[in-house]
Amino acid sequence: MSNKAVENKKINQAKAKSNNRGHLEKNGDIVVAPFEIKDCALITRTGNGLPAMNLREFRQGVASCPIESIYHHFCETVLRPSFDDPEFHNDLARWARRDLHDHVLAERLEILDPYAFANFEELRRAVLDIIDDHLSEISYIAWVDEGSSFHFLRATTVVFETGHSFSKPSELVKVISEMTTSSLYYHFWEARRRTEDQRDDFSHWLKNWPGRYDKVIEAIGNIDFYFMSLRELQKKLCTTIEEAMKSL
Amino acid sequence: MTGTFQRSLRDYEQIVGKPVLHQLEQLASHLRGKKTVHVNSTKTGGGVAEILAWMIPFMRELGIEASWEVIEGNEPFFNVTKMFHNGLQGNKVPIKQNHFDAYKDTNRSNSEKLRPILEEADFVIVHDPQPAMLREFCPNRKGRWIWRCHIDASKPDRKVWKFLRPLVEQYDASIFSMAAFSQAMPHPQFLVAPSIDPLSEKNTELPQEEIDAVFDRFALKRNVPILCQVSRFDRFKDPLGVIHAYKLVKKFSPVQLILAGGTADDDPEGAEVLNEVQAAAAEDSDIHILLLPPDAHRTINALQRASTIIIQKSTREGFGLTVTEGLWKGKPVIGGDVGGIRLQVINHHTGFLVSSPEGVAQRIRYLLNRPELIKVMGNKGREFARENFLLTRHLREYLTLMVGLQQGFDNRLMAAA
Repeated sequence: MSNKAVENKKINQAKAKSNNRGHLEKNGDIVVAPFEIKDCALITRTGNGLPAMNLREFRQGVASCPIESIYHHFCETVLRPSFDDPEFHNDLARWARRDLHDHVLAERLEILDPYAFANFEELRRAVLDIIDDHLSEISYIAWVDEGSSFHFLRATTVVFETGHSFSKPSELVKVISEMTTSSLYYHFWEARRRTEDQRDDFSHWLKNWPGRYDKVIEAIGNIDFYFMSLRELQKKLCTTIEEAMKSL
Repeated sequence: MTGTFQRSLRDYEQIVGKPVLHQLEQLASHLRGKKTVHVNSTKTGGGVAEILAWMIPFMRELGIEASWEVIEGNEPFFNVTKMFHNGLQGNKVPIKQNHFDAYKDTNRSNSEKLRPILEEADFVIVHDPQPAMLREFCPNRKGRWIWRCHIDASKPDRKVWKFLRPLVEQYDASIFSMAAFSQAMPHPQFLVAPSIDPLSEKNTELPQEEIDAVFDRFALKRNVPILCQVSRFDRFKDPLGVIHAYKLVKKFSPVQLILAGGTADDDPEGAEVLNEVQAAAAEDSDIHILLLPPDAHRTINALQRASTIIIQKSTREGFGLTVTEGLWKGKPVIGGDVGGIRLQVINHHTGFLVSSPEGVAQRIRYLLNRPELIKVMGNKGREFARENFLLTRHLREYLTLMVGLQQGFDNRLMAAA
């Protein structure tokens, strides 16, 4: 096997092992596996429980729904057709305001940032706390109109290769600016669900050059992304990375 | 059977962009060569046939071995399935055992012809209740069977659902247009919203002369804002409420109203509503009640494009594709706060959700005083429709579902051939 072939084999092994996070040392130089761009598509389905028509049923649903439903209603909303409403970033707050007409509850739920919690079970507990507190404050249980029940949903994310990859960090801005929103969702939002330290794939990949891109990683980490649409995030990422790269 | 649909997915590239088509190709690469059979009960007319007319050729173009089968039935069968349709939508229907027998007989006789194709298929997608019993008569099924319900089945007639439920819950999955339309069943129930075809006669760009022509044809004034509601003359569409709203606005600003719908010859209640609407519109030459034939797609397209604001003041609604059509034409939509309208009309972004004729009137006046906002909202609505309610999204969700069914559902699947 030629040297080139051996090197390629090592890179492929690193790719397979790393999912955009592997690197090899070659004569003191770092050989990093290319960043493989993936994309994803979601298909939404109903959860197992009954729809909620009042706050008590809603609480019951939040307590018993699969954790994927909590994730869906807080995080996958950014990809769903109904999402274009900067006033609400999760379905629970939106329902509390629009259907239950409970402004206080809506505001308390809206401020929750799922990524401020260690995991989604903690987020569920926080939601239940808010609802329980609210139930103790109100004197009657409001019902929603027919057709306005809260349906607990979940989704399956199908991930697929795009066939595109890139090798140099200097290409990052261009690549991100051309990504589909679903690809950006997969590498930025969804990555937090599958990585130990809840970071995005770009930061993980940049870590393959120890110390060299720390400022970029830090700048990406400082983006308050949860309250952004994917298009807004795309722009923000590009300007942030561009600025941080200049300072290196 | 693919009908006369001539367009290719490539024709949509200028509208949705290359990445969207690339996504479809990537997803479909995991389904290449899969035999996928759609079954419904009519080859022309109706929303399902319209969807299948583009979906089959597009699936084929993507390398899937898609085909379309139509079951044959006699008049008693279609009378029964009409009852099923009405019953699923929540109307009480006088259904009896002999009706169920006629339904079974037709499904059994169709299964004799279709069994080899259906049993061999990797995916069978059965649309609506008419052919739902075919599965029972295909015991050696190789693939996955999906029941696609296009009807709002949230409050079905008890007798109808008691009969249909055991048939459809045996499927591997079902698809509903919205969560609120679904029924709890033991298999996964997926949600796929309808879509519009931006290159169809009803939605394609029109030459300005064709838009201008409707002004002369229907005696519309050129410099007076036009409000337009396109829908059946049905109480749930509240055409009388729309006229009331128009009259409230007209006290303050010159305005014209178009209520365009089909003729109501075969619908006694529709005829009654139409009479009431005509009476309410009498002696006001700025209200135009237009009874258009079912194939007047380009005329409706031109009317929507000539309008200033689209209204869909329903008090009960399915998905509301006329709203999608309005958004796609770059118009703000004032819609009833019900059903699928709520997924499409985003307050202050793509239009306004309202709950009364007064609410409609107030929002019309608000918009007429802000012509710039009409443009901004219209542009936003068009982009919203482009991203969410065009047939490419519809197709992507079908492909995603098929990949998911092929691999077994989990939270996250890495697509594999």
